[in-house]
Amino acid sequence: MKEIKLKVNHKDYHVAIEEDMRLLDLLRNRLNLTGTKEGCGEGECGACTVIMDGITVNSCMVMAFQAENREIFTIEGLEKGGRLDPIQQAFLDEGAVQCGFCTPGMVLSAKALLDKNPKPTREEIREGISGNLCRCTGYNKIVDAIEKASEYRKEE
Amino acid sequence: MKKRGKGIGSIFYGTGYGNGFPDVSRSVAVLRKDGKVKIYTGATEVGQGSKTVLSQIAAETLGISIEDVIFICEDTSITPDAGTAAASRQTYNTGNAIKKSCEELKRKIIDVTVKASGADAWEEINLRDVALNHKGQILKGEGEFIAETTEMKDETGQGNPYWPYTFNVYGVEVEVDTTNGVVEVIKAVCAQDVGRAINPKLIEGQMDGGFAMGLSYALFEDLNIKNGEIKHNKLTNYLIPTAMDVPDLEKIIVEDPEATGPYGAKGIGEPVMIGVAPAILNAIYDAIGVRITELPATPNKILLALKKKREVAL
Ligand code: FES
Ligand code: FES
Repeated sequence: MKEIKLKVNHKDYHVAIEEDMRLLDLLRNRLNLTGTKEGCGEGECGACTVIMDGITVNSCMVMAFQAENREIFTIEGLEKGGRLDPIQQAFLDEGAVQCGFCTPGMVLSAKALLDKNPKPTREEIREGISGNLCRCTGYNKIVDAIEKASEYRKEE
Repeated sequence: MKKRGKGIGSIFYGTGYGNGFPDVSRSVAVLRKDGKVKIYTGATEVGQGSKTVLSQIAAETLGISIEDVIFICEDTSITPDAGTAAASRQTYNTGNAIKKSCEELKRKIIDVTVKASGADAWEEINLRDVALNHKGQILKGEGEFIAETTEMKDETGQGNPYWPYTFNVYGVEVEVDTTNGVVEVIKAVCAQDVGRAINPKLIEGQMDGGFAMGLSYALFEDLNIKNGEIKHNKLTNYLIPTAMDVPDLEKIIVEDPEATGPYGAKGIGEPVMIGVAPAILNAIYDAIGVRITELPATPNKILLALKKKREVAL
């Protein structure tokens, strides 16, 4: 057992963790943030993507203790005052969600990309989400949605 | 050297279980106390959009807005069986059942309003008032759709194995790297017969998804079964495409209403996938002159086929 402090979605947490606990389990099982999904558990699918200090990580490959004093964003942290983040809205508007299992990770990868590069080309978008596998959409509507999100963010 | 080639693949596909197998969908439409309509059906939403499309069919039949349709599906303890979300059958089969249940509900509502006030023009009937005035009475319509097919006789080819059929064609352009055997699809277009497009955006989503699955089937996915054991049992060795592997797809929706479909619609879930692999294999042939006869067309197989071709030429 070890006590760590971390910030998740703007909130400070002080939690007891096991040494061998993954960040994914800390988020899902301790903090009840089940929007983060587990697909493969081995760093291949990106379903467990979260943002740690501005960079996307696969939370199945990060140990919970490595999150000590870090700032984490999960899909639950995106809406503001009951309003969806422009990226989430764009995913809805473009029909970029089918079964939805990849969606939280996709949206966070899109956010990390747009935070760095507000107006990416379609190729740059494809590269930005290439760590996130989707079995349903064939990615095209997701790329459309991220293009649209880039416009929405400009308008805001 | 990089070589380019083009290919097409065209298919027709029979909707539903077919071949005489029982294929039944059911639906119940109930007028709620607040004038909204509840639809109960066992149809399963797995992301393909059946909830949306089937709600649209109910709204259209009753002439109400989609917000006034309360769609209840999947829970087998309270919904009637509507078969599986398989065989590209939900839009067509369950869509028909829902349309029937809404038509029956409509008839029943008209019956009570004629008795009460003589009103028989549907447009003038306010569903909220009807629900208020007939509190004790449950107004509901039931719908059942059965696709009646017969088994096809192998010897004669006679029978009626499916109804209806759906048509599709893919065109693709590939680039084959003859030094390492990698095939890249650089351009693709899909034309899909849908009967009638109830929700074009969802249809496009199915086309994109089917295309990616077909591409993956043609070029990547290999279970690698050895002595009955699946060797490629994780995403590190069982490859599926990333966003970098799937090009933009040009999508053409072909509307030719199907007389027996709900508002002319047909299902397209599987049809959008089937033509992809033959189109890619034809394009590979066009590019490098070799026929790949076993999927997936991995770099290894391409290199082997090229080597064989060179040996034959010598
Ligand atoms: S669950 Fe973490 S990458 Fe798949
Ligand atoms: S929407 Fe199903 S995996 Fe992406």
